[in-house]
Amino acid sequence: MDSFQDFADFLTTVDRDGALAETRSHAERTLSRRRFFGLTLAGAGTIAITGSTGARAAGGLPASDVDILNYALVLEYLQASFYTEAERSSALTGKTAEAARIVGATERAHVKAFLKLLGSEAVKRPTFDFQGTTEQQRPFLKTAVALEDLAVAAYKGQAPKLQANPVLAAAVGIHSVEARHTAWMRQLFGITPAVDAFDLPASRRSINRVVASTHFIVSRPKMTGRNKPEFTG
Amino acid sequence: MRQPEVKRVDDPAMGIRSSRRVLLARGGVLGALATIPLIGRLLQLGDASASPSKAQDSKILQLVLLLEYTQVAFYEEALRQAGLTGDLHDFAQAALEHEKQHLAAIRKALGTTAGAKPSFDFGQNVKSARAFSEAAIQLEDTAVASYNGQATNLTKGTLAVAAEIVSVEARHAAWVRAIAGQVAAPDPVDVPMTAKQAVQGLHEIGLRT
Repeated sequence: MDSFQDFADFLTTVDRDGALAETRSHAERTLSRRRFFGLTLAGAGTIAITGSTGARAAGGLPASDVDILNYALVLEYLQASFYTEAERSSALTGKTAEAARIVGATERAHVKAFLKLLGSEAVKRPTFDFQGTTEQQRPFLKTAVALEDLAVAAYKGQAPKLQANPVLAAAVGIHSVEARHTAWMRQLFGITPAVDAFDLPASRRSINRVVASTHFIVSRPKMTGRNKPEFTG
Repeated sequence: MRQPEVKRVDDPAMGIRSSRRVLLARGGVLGALATIPLIGRLLQLGDASASPSKAQDSKILQLVLLLEYTQVAFYEEALRQAGLTGDLHDFAQAALEHEKQHLAAIRKALGTTAGAKPSFDFGQNVKSARAFSEAAIQLEDTAVASYNGQATNLTKGTLAVAAEIVSVEARHAAWVRAIAGQVAAPDPVDVPMTAKQAVQGLHEIGLRT
């Protein structure tokens, strides 16, 4: 299994959910609302990632960056939940259990970081159903490979579109970690960790299509509105 | 440059980190390297550079060129001298093939301005399988950190190409770490290197010129 297409074939291909697409349209509505209220979106210099409390985070981030970060957040939710559920199922053993524990902790850290960055603009965690893939080692590894390859392609597709330098710097640092994850899971699964000299990006449309085909997302994420960010992990 | 606060996964089983701290302690090397024209120009790449431009892309591509030259030479020599077998041999051969393609792409992008192949002395790093795997981890981690460190300095078009390469370097890093029984992804966010740190890291492995 060396491509997303194989993963899509492996699972069913009916797009019945469209959860990620829904996320995007939520984000687009938010952006329209921001323009309506005439909010000034300052540059990267004003990003307050640490420090004060309250709905600080997205203030100062370009609207398009908020949109991309929310898209990435859903992918991180998906991965974090997948590993957490696999750990809880006690189905994993040996090196695979060890790797899953470390990778899971990292994906949860990514979720936390994005929630902090986005504050009140963050989409909520969807509800997931991993279709039994977290309950046996081989299906777990196969799915992990597909999800990680997907994340690498997704970050790669979005990184050049990010405007704020601190966000871009963080995104590329996460992008390469996802690539490490996919190589690690591939090694454990017994397939080549790095097939080609160049990793290609994937558009949102194709990522959404693959994610939808998995039926892993069973409820649509919602904007938290004025609510405080929901911390997880 | 601020990044979202992400704590390193706190795990005693996590193998070695990149030897960045060790590299940083060796300041003297840079003075000597700076006298070499190509490297001297690279060291002028600031940490917080001017706005991305084609001219700046070219400077950064020279750094990347040096990195890819080093990787190609390292894997070629290791495959000749380190007595690699099994998984390590398969890894080295795949990595060499990828690095050759990266090198060709960067040379093509730079055209006539591409720097000449530097000289190397990899010493013990290519003389045994064990030393090779340690050095390969360091080199691939350095490659990832070097590309990541330049992301905000590149024009968006060049960034898109660099992104297609850096994740392959990250796959290599994780691959050889996994073979060596080390944690393949020790940090939640890969820590970037400046151009200076990158050059110093390459010297640590065997770049001489």
